[in-house]
Amino acid sequence: MGLLDKLAGWLGLKKKDVNVLCLGLDNSGKTSIINQLKPSNAQAQDIVPTIGFNIEKFKTSSLSFTVFDMSGQGRYRNLWEHYYKEGQAIIFVIDSSDKLRMVVAKEELDTLLNHPDIKHRRIPILFFANKMDLRDALSSVKVSQLLCLENIKDKPWHICASNAVQGEGLQEGVDWLQDQIKTMRT
Amino acid sequence: MIKKFDKKDEEAGSGSNPFQHLEKSAVLQEARIFNETPINPRRCLHILTKIIYLLNQGEHFGTTEATEAFFAMTRLFQSNDQTLRRMCYLTIKEMANISEDVIIVTSSLTKDMTGKEDVYRGPAIRALCRITDTTMLQAIERYMKQAIVDKVPSVSSSALVSSLHMVKMSYDVVKRWVNEAQEAASSDNIMVQYHALGLLYHLRKNDRLAVSKMLNKFTKSGLKSPFAYCMLIRIASKLLEETEGGHDSPLFDFIESCLRNKHEMVVYEAASAIVHMPNCTARELAPAVSVLQLFCSSPKAALRYAAVRTLNKVAMKHPSAVTACNLDLENLITDSNRSIATLAITTLLKTGSESSVDRLMKQISSFVSEISDEFKVVVVQAISALCQKYPRKHSVMMNFLSNMLRDDGGFEYKRAIVDCIISIIEDNPESKETGLAHLCEFIEDCEHTVLATKILHLLGKEGPRTPSPSKYIRFIFNRVVLESEAVRAAAVSALAKFGAQNDDLLPSVLVLMQRCMMDSDDEVRDRATFYMNVLQQKQKALNAAYIFNGLSVSIPGLEKSLHQYTLEPSEKPFDMKTVPLATAPITEQKTEIAPVATSKLPEKLAPSRQDIYQEQLAAIPEFQALGPLFKSSEPVQLTEAETEYVVRCIKHTFVGHMVFQFDCTNTLNDQLLQRVLVQMEPSEAYEVVQHVAAQSLPYSQPGSCYTLVRLPEDDPTAVSCTFSCAMKYLVRDCDPNTGEPDDDGYDDEYVLEDLEVTVADHIQKVLKPNFSAAWEEVGDEFEKEETFALASVRTLDEAVGNIISFLGMQPCERSDKVPENKNSHILFLAGVFRGGHDVLVRARLALADGVTMQVTVRSVDENVVDVILASVG
Ligand SMILES: Nc1nc2c(ncn2[C@@H]2O[C@H](COP(=O)(O)OP(=O)(O)OP(=O)(O)O)[C@@H](O)[C@H]2O)c(=O)[nH]1
Ligand SMILES: [Mg+2]
Repeated sequence: MGLLDKLAGWLGLKKKDVNVLCLGLDNSGKTSIINQLKPSNAQAQDIVPTIGFNIEKFKTSSLSFTVFDMSGQGRYRNLWEHYYKEGQAIIFVIDSSDKLRMVVAKEELDTLLNHPDIKHRRIPILFFANKMDLRDALSSVKVSQLLCLENIKDKPWHICASNAVQGEGLQEGVDWLQDQIKTMRT
Repeated sequence: MIKKFDKKDEEAGSGSNPFQHLEKSAVLQEARIFNETPINPRRCLHILTKIIYLLNQGEHFGTTEATEAFFAMTRLFQSNDQTLRRMCYLTIKEMANISEDVIIVTSSLTKDMTGKEDVYRGPAIRALCRITDTTMLQAIERYMKQAIVDKVPSVSSSALVSSLHMVKMSYDVVKRWVNEAQEAASSDNIMVQYHALGLLYHLRKNDRLAVSKMLNKFTKSGLKSPFAYCMLIRIASKLLEETEGGHDSPLFDFIESCLRNKHEMVVYEAASAIVHMPNCTARELAPAVSVLQLFCSSPKAALRYAAVRTLNKVAMKHPSAVTACNLDLENLITDSNRSIATLAITTLLKTGSESSVDRLMKQISSFVSEISDEFKVVVVQAISALCQKYPRKHSVMMNFLSNMLRDDGGFEYKRAIVDCIISIIEDNPESKETGLAHLCEFIEDCEHTVLATKILHLLGKEGPRTPSPSKYIRFIFNRVVLESEAVRAAAVSALAKFGAQNDDLLPSVLVLMQRCMMDSDDEVRDRATFYMNVLQQKQKALNAAYIFNGLSVSIPGLEKSLHQYTLEPSEKPFDMKTVPLATAPITEQKTEIAPVATSKLPEKLAPSRQDIYQEQLAAIPEFQALGPLFKSSEPVQLTEAETEYVVRCIKHTFVGHMVFQFDCTNTLNDQLLQRVLVQMEPSEAYEVVQHVAAQSLPYSQPGSCYTLVRLPEDDPTAVSCTFSCAMKYLVRDCDPNTGEPDDDGYDDEYVLEDLEVTVADHIQKVLKPNFSAAWEEVGDEFEKEETFALASVRTLDEAVGNIISFLGMQPCERSDKVPENKNSHILFLAGVFRGGHDVLVRARLALADGVTMQVTVRSVDENVVDVILASVG
């Protein structure tokens, strides 16, 4: 870090860098959510299923986020763990209209929580119950019940209903995440 | 000596290559910093460089360690440092095949290839295409099509070249991009146009009509890019060759018109294409040669080099076409670029008249020390060719070669010279003594063991038969005193031959042998002791068998038999006749000088084809009692090409039996053959004893079945026989896709062509380096002689060829070569008859009306002599 950068850091001008993992089943809306959070001039027009992963960046009032947007398709899910170590926070996205695969989502979540690189860390997890605009979408409360989120005792977590197409609910979640990270650091 | 080298290495290495002593494990350890945040681009770049360096040095990376490093590298995509990102692309390409799950970077690369940074886009496409397989390709197809027609040339070129690579893997997908490639082919950028043409061609190359249409279109519309023109010329000449198109074809007109293109590159390509066309006549060559002639005086060294190199090639096939350029080539003789000068001289040597040889040789000696070994070899080859063309010039050449031999030079160079001298000696008996003298001088100071032993062997063979053999003894004995073990041993063997051939030298040779028996090396001592004892007997037959003509058995076979003998000790002495003979005898043909790349180390003795058969047959229980395999024939085709079943036969001869091995291939994908065997009907008293069937013959997987035949014992002269053959089997029809056969099948048979057994199947070739010694050794107890008239044969060459192939015996003393303009010739043949008896044939041929042949046969077995004479008659 150059001197100026350090100076900016002390003065609170320079935003802190945070690495975030964005996980969840395929088609749940991970890429769409991250895309919405980017500045409008950097947003992509069409969103296609992710293959492997993508690295995206966006800023909030006090943090600079680097997001590893992972692919949710079955055959790539076992590649998530390569990136667990550097994640300082997790965004877990659920398609709340996909009742059929809710159990799959729960299974993947449990595997994640039991992974040695995650298990013993107090790492904040933000859940988005996405696609809330769809008619048969479940409420965030219902989703959290189905995923048994109340069992997560050793990590701060939060769930928000969201609509990645319109951008609704995203800000609330990201604000929570920012607060968590700041309290963790100080 | 060794120490000195080490030091040199160190000096050369220090400072020049910072990566020289890299350790893979240390580098992989360092690669862990990829996981650290924030990323330090400079350090990461350095480590990626090291990884790529190691990979390019051929260092092996295990899958796990490679995958770990690869995934660590993927994190570097966080950084926006341009150099680092491009290094990542390189790493991805290098590791694409050794790491697992490389598709993890697909989305990241797709993003870069469609992004705003032009410097990322081309390289990202190349990397993406390296990690993509056919299924994934569909997912990025849309982006590839856009990239091909992108307005940024580097992006378009990258996409085109990557597509070209993927044609091999996913032809059907890439084929859909033809329209985009067409559009790129009309680009203003010369590289894009060239790459687009390349892709279009590769998509169509299997469809001659489409290629020809494409050529037609582009040759009419014209192209901007000289690279594309060169490519069109290559495509056109290939098509011309395939369609055997003549010089009246529009394709030829196109190529010829390119001789007038404004780009030198295109002009050269066209000239080179014309020159290389098969059956090109002087008329078509002339314009091509004249542009090459112009290039000879170009100020650009590359053009002069290209021109003279091409002319050099033309000179081999059409020397007269190049004579027009002789003046220009003369000017190049003094070219400051020695490669150009060498090629010019060697070309002139090929085209020039006999009278100019001396002048050219003088010219070339003035700078031969300045050119690299590689070009020196070219010079030696030219000399070698020249000697064959103008045998009368051999003394000039010999002189020149001996001077070259004295110069410094590497092994390949020295070997080329030695081979060339040896071939001159062999072709010109009158040059023998001068040649041997030069070689003697050479081995006085020769650091190459292989060459020294080779020359000693030659001295042993030729020296004793020269008018004054004593003068070689000193050179040979010096070797025993001064050289390494291998050379000393070779020298001892050479000495022995002098003693065996020349009675007056024998006493001194015996004294020298006595000294060699005190050598410090086992092999040298053993040889000396052995020869000493043989020589002291003073018997011609012993000398012939143990000094001149050596062992004729297969060395791996001997090793195996001896091992077998030690496993089952018996009262009987070991019998050399049970050892299979060596099949590929060291031919006396001179070896081609050309192959510079042949292995430098003496090769390990590989098992011969027959050793392999021997092993395979011994593994079949039915054939275990047959004794050692005597001879295996070359395969004989018993079916036409492209029939339902392809069958070829190899005839294996044993002492009292023959095994016919039928290699069968079933080319019908809807049939499974089972219990396949070949039934044989002999014309003579041969008895079919047993069949060993091939149990199953699925589509396109070759299998073998065998038929065992007993040779007639009561009539040893019945050596030839004709067999009518039929293949019998059970057919089960099956599904062509799955190969799943029906439950039941039916018997069927397939008639094959007749199979001949001839006298050659009973004789194994054996080379007797000294035929007359062998002739004496066998003696005349069973000698027989007969005279035949070969009415239908017109030349001595033809007669010699016929006899050799008919008897299947080994020509000795280079007697298979009939000197030109001679009316008579003597052919010497040697072999071993089934059962282990030596047989020698001397055939005196005289050319009159047709050829008259007097055949003399010697053997230690009377039957064998009768068999040979009976089969010739
Ligand atoms: N109606 C509705 N559609 C959404 C919402 N969020 C995402 N989608 C749609 O869902 C589809 C999948 O979105 P992606 O962002 O590609 O999903 P992903 O989780 O990144 O999928 P993978 O990359 O395959 O793991 C797209 O067609 C989006 O337009 C939402 O809140 N409401
Ligand atoms: Mg995605």
